[in-house]
Amino acid sequence: MKSIAFGQYYPSNSIMHRLDPRMKIIMGILYIVTCFLCKNVITFGILMISALLLIIISKIPVKIVIRSIRAIIFIMIFTAVLNIFWTKGEDYELLLSWRFINIYSSGLYNAAFIVIRIVSMIIGTGIFLTYTTTPIQLTDGLEQLLSPLKVLKVPVHEFAMMMTIALRFIPTIIEETEKIMAAQKARGADFSNGSLVKRAKALIPVLIPLFISSFRRAGELATAMTCRCYRGGKGRTRLNVLRFSFKDFVALFLVIAFGTGIVLLNIYAPGYTM
Amino acid sequence: MSKLTVENVSFVYSAGTPFEVKALDGVSVNIESNRITGIIGHTGSGKSTLVQMFNGLIRPTEGKILLDGEDIWADAKKISAVRYRVGLVMQYPEYQLFEETVEADIAYGPKNMGLDDAEIAKRVLESAEFVGLGVENLKKSPFDLSGGQKRRAAIAGIMAMRPEVLVLDEPSAGLDPAGKKSIFEGIQKYAEATGAAVIIVSHSMDDMAKYCEDIIVMSHSKVAMMGKRNEIFSRGDELEAIGLGVPQMTYLVRLLAQKGIDLPQDIFTVDDAEAAIIELFGGAK
Ligand SMILES: Nc1ncnc2c1ncn2[C@@H]1O[C@H](COP(=O)(O)OP(=O)(O)O)[C@@H](O)[C@H]1O
Ligand SMILES: [Mg+2]
Repeated sequence: MKSIAFGQYYPSNSIMHRLDPRMKIIMGILYIVTCFLCKNVITFGILMISALLLIIISKIPVKIVIRSIRAIIFIMIFTAVLNIFWTKGEDYELLLSWRFINIYSSGLYNAAFIVIRIVSMIIGTGIFLTYTTTPIQLTDGLEQLLSPLKVLKVPVHEFAMMMTIALRFIPTIIEETEKIMAAQKARGADFSNGSLVKRAKALIPVLIPLFISSFRRAGELATAMTCRCYRGGKGRTRLNVLRFSFKDFVALFLVIAFGTGIVLLNIYAPGYTM
Repeated sequence: MSKLTVENVSFVYSAGTPFEVKALDGVSVNIESNRITGIIGHTGSGKSTLVQMFNGLIRPTEGKILLDGEDIWADAKKISAVRYRVGLVMQYPEYQLFEETVEADIAYGPKNMGLDDAEIAKRVLESAEFVGLGVENLKKSPFDLSGGQKRRAAIAGIMAMRPEVLVLDEPSAGLDPAGKKSIFEGIQKYAEATGAAVIIVSHSMDDMAKYCEDIIVMSHSKVAMMGKRNEIFSRGDELEAIGLGVPQMTYLVRLLAQKGIDLPQDIFTVDDAEAAIIELFGGAK
């Protein structure tokens, strides 16, 4: 239950887990940009190795990463197939020709590149963001990264607070749903059998108590926050102040160096270019 | 043969994830009809997990649950029939109320059983009477009742299914003494009227002493002690080692014994203590 509740966060004590969330957001974005910069065989090869290294550094079990890749396997196969059949590379070797279907070697390269790019992007966002950073850390990081927008009267703090509260209560609401479902099952409710209409009707005894307690909880939370003098973000200090440390800058430097290396290799490395 | 037998049951939450918790570890207990059994233990000792096994809400990772000697999981499709025979009142049951009227809410269980309207109406009235919920409340919205009344309406909803085994998970949690008393009296009435096996989960030693004949003590996912009320409470040191202690009156008797005033050792409730003290002063009231 809790594994769903806390998104994809996977607790561990790796260095990646201990980096500053703001820096991880920036690095995640840079890494995704780098995924799009890759152009030839060597750079895509390096990209693939970098994704594997990220998994190793963050001590996330490969099993878990594969699970999230599996979720989009169809999109991946679809784009790969499209690339194989639709790449017109007149300058390249024609591998197969049958009626109107022509498959060039460039098509195979492009398909492989696209797959590596998608997989690396998923691994990159996962490792930098969701697997190693709790949702609360993420919203905190986001709020502080976006705080310059406050000058333009964008209610950054309010959005972040809303997101934090929503995230905070997802596990609670899931737990509550499970409890109410169990309670109604104990009274003979059946959620898994019967026609669609019947199953939808069976949910009424779950939804009504759930709504009522959510409203009650929202009211209680508002009262509790008011009692503790919450009045928006103005002048509010934090319990856990985010501070960049040396390792954050080293990590950022490595990601930037990686991106620069890729750009240079795109220009100077030989081989097929997308 | 016992009404309900738990054989060497273990259960693990979120198995195979980093959040794995072993909630039950090789638990075996017997529950008899015609009496009230108490399950006691501190928070997180596995009480709620155990009682949710009784009616098949969760399936044991290992071990068996026998109802009248038959494995309730022998045919997983028939588990809903087990849920009518073993009625479970979950913790804070008032949050499960959803119907427009109290009457309709109590009738939800019996309706799912497929009983006819006349039978349902009869059971609703009887159950409301067990828990002491006046007829004038039946037409009200459950959300207009007081906290204690809501709790009683929810308990009546389970009693209306006439379960052979009635299980209540912390039925008195968060109620005032008067509310507590009326809940326990309702449970006693049901037990007497139907001869069902009744199981009450609690962490109040005093409530256990007052209402339960058999007691099961849980500690760290295991059964620590099991037996008759006086057997269990006479092992005060072991209970204290688990962090539970003995009923207040038993404690008082022990303190008095240290001061040289000897009272019988089997005093668990205020009534017991009252009778013994009157006896000590010569019997006349
Ligand atoms: N739905 C659940 N998911 C994961 N762990 C749970 C869940 N319910 C209970 N637990 C854990 O199982 C253990 C036993 O809990 P529980 O049976 O509720 O104990 P008790 O009712 O005695 O307080 C606790 O450590 C608790 O944290
Ligand atoms: Mg409990």
